[in-house]
Amino acid sequence: MDDGGTVLVVDDEPAITRALTAALRARGYRVLSAATGAEALARVASDGPAVVVLDLGLPDLDGIEVCRRIREWSDVPIVVLTAEGAENRKVAALDEGADDYVTKPFSMPELLARVRVALRHRRPVGSTFDDAVVVVGDVCIDVAQRIVSVGARVIELTPKEFGLLVVLARHPGRVLTHRMILEEVWGPEYGTETQYLRVYASQLRKKLDDDPRSPRLITEPGVGYRLVDRGITDPPLRSTPE
Amino acid sequence: MRPHSPRDPAPSLGFGVGFVTSVIVTLSLVPIRGEINRATPALLLVLPVVAAGVVGGRTAALATAVVAAGAFNLAFIPPYGTLKVDVVDDAVALGVFVAVAAAVGTFVAREAERRRAAELRVDEIQALHERYEAVVAERERLAAEATRLVVLEQVDEQRSALLRSVSHDLRTPLATIRAVTSDLRAGAAYDDATRDELLDLVGDEAERLDRIVSNLLSLSRIEAGALKPDRQAVALDELVAERVARLARLFGQVRVQVDLPVDLPLADADYSQLDQVITNLLENAARHSPPRSTLRVGARRHNDMIEVWVADEGAGVARFERERIFQPFRRGDGSASTGVGLAICKAIVEAHGGEIGVQGVPGGGARFLFTVPVRHG
Repeated sequence: MDDGGTVLVVDDEPAITRALTAALRARGYRVLSAATGAEALARVASDGPAVVVLDLGLPDLDGIEVCRRIREWSDVPIVVLTAEGAENRKVAALDEGADDYVTKPFSMPELLARVRVALRHRRPVGSTFDDAVVVVGDVCIDVAQRIVSVGARVIELTPKEFGLLVVLARHPGRVLTHRMILEEVWGPEYGTETQYLRVYASQLRKKLDDDPRSPRLITEPGVGYRLVDRGITDPPLRSTPE
Repeated sequence: MRPHSPRDPAPSLGFGVGFVTSVIVTLSLVPIRGEINRATPALLLVLPVVAAGVVGGRTAALATAVVAAGAFNLAFIPPYGTLKVDVVDDAVALGVFVAVAAAVGTFVAREAERRRAAELRVDEIQALHERYEAVVAERERLAAEATRLVVLEQVDEQRSALLRSVSHDLRTPLATIRAVTSDLRAGAAYDDATRDELLDLVGDEAERLDRIVSNLLSLSRIEAGALKPDRQAVALDELVAERVARLARLFGQVRVQVDLPVDLPLADADYSQLDQVITNLLENAARHSPPRSTLRVGARRHNDMIEVWVADEGAGVARFERERIFQPFRRGDGSASTGVGLAICKAIVEAHGGEIGVQGVPGGGARFLFTVPVRHG
């Protein structure tokens, strides 16, 4: 029953590897593990996992370097595990091609949700999209007509707000760094103007009429933003693993 | 401009001294002028010129010479009481007196000036020397201050290294515990074997947290100088067997081979401290052991000490690292944990009067070796 795909878990802590292995196997994934960066690179090349869960603190190679090297030839989704408070490391990992991150100590449902999101959306940021309509939960964006509706309500957005919403909606559930968004919407020369982004994100959130307790547009402090589908709930756990 | 100093020539004072002494000499010689040669007052009247030169410099000396010459003429050259000179001899004597007095006065004044200048230079050198010493002292003070700052900075750095190391070490088992408990709480339906494995994992990680906390407590005792072994008779074979059993799951696929001679004497040691040394060495060895390798624990008597060793078949410890790994917060190459375990081993072993070290093993691996005293009586 390995239909969930293969997950490569890269961590030098045997305990966390064992816990992740058990949880992932129970959800129908096949699990491989690696304890070093070198081993991880070899595994990605030889076993072609569907997703990589990568701890950034490895004994031999820096995890960010591992991301960079994987990205040189592979589009496999990467979810990184980072220490609390290491915002710059998260951003660096995302900029080097990681798809998402989870902060240690993490809850297993949170990590599993990230793994699912990573598996669902394997397109890298910046690749071309030709879908005319993008839907995330009750938010529907007609890219060609530039019409946005939330449920039955059509909302008016400025061109920048529209651009921001589109870039986030094309990677639903996935965190995009400030720089990724700024470069995409404002252009490469605006990569560091985080203030712009905060203002537009705040306005966009108001127009989407987000519930502050469970907003669609989530701020990842010091890292970036993600747009989530509030309608999605995690699929139930299969009762008889393997 | 240099301020006026007491040693500068004082022309008016000099002239005053010359004038007064000239008058005194003249008045005291007048009553006996019939009985003395004319050379005597001439010679004696040079003295006021000398005095004026010493005190007042050249100008004072020359002015006094004029006064003295006048007095000589008035009092000792007939006709007395006038400046008239009747005899050629006397005119010559007066001329010679003026010349000699002026010459002596000038010479004396110049010498006095030179002396004053020399003294002044000595003073200046003295002052320079004092200033130099002050500068040297200040520089030494600044250097000491800089050294103190460097030391403080190092202590500070060690503190933050400790904090980093501690938070990493504490967080790692916590991450596992949180992951597993959140998973179980979310209602993950596991088969019994997996469930047991996960619960064991939580138990093991909780024990690991306990060991880390023990190490931290020992570290604070070591830092406070309060690591006093409470010595008792310790049966090493019991201690090792119990500890190996308790750490069983930590070894995983690593085989542990304990080899203690049956006639091994009792150790004279603090049980819990010795247990901590063995635990840290076993944990360290387990972490560096490749799967399916063998970890060996052994001991033997060596004179009045017992030698204990823990050997793994891992990558070993590079020669240049063999001293350093016993310093706090030095993680060996590739190790992701325990910045303090080996440092605590060293402090405990040394508090017992023993030694600790690490050797290479032929064929690869590290052999940690320490000594502990034999219990007598």
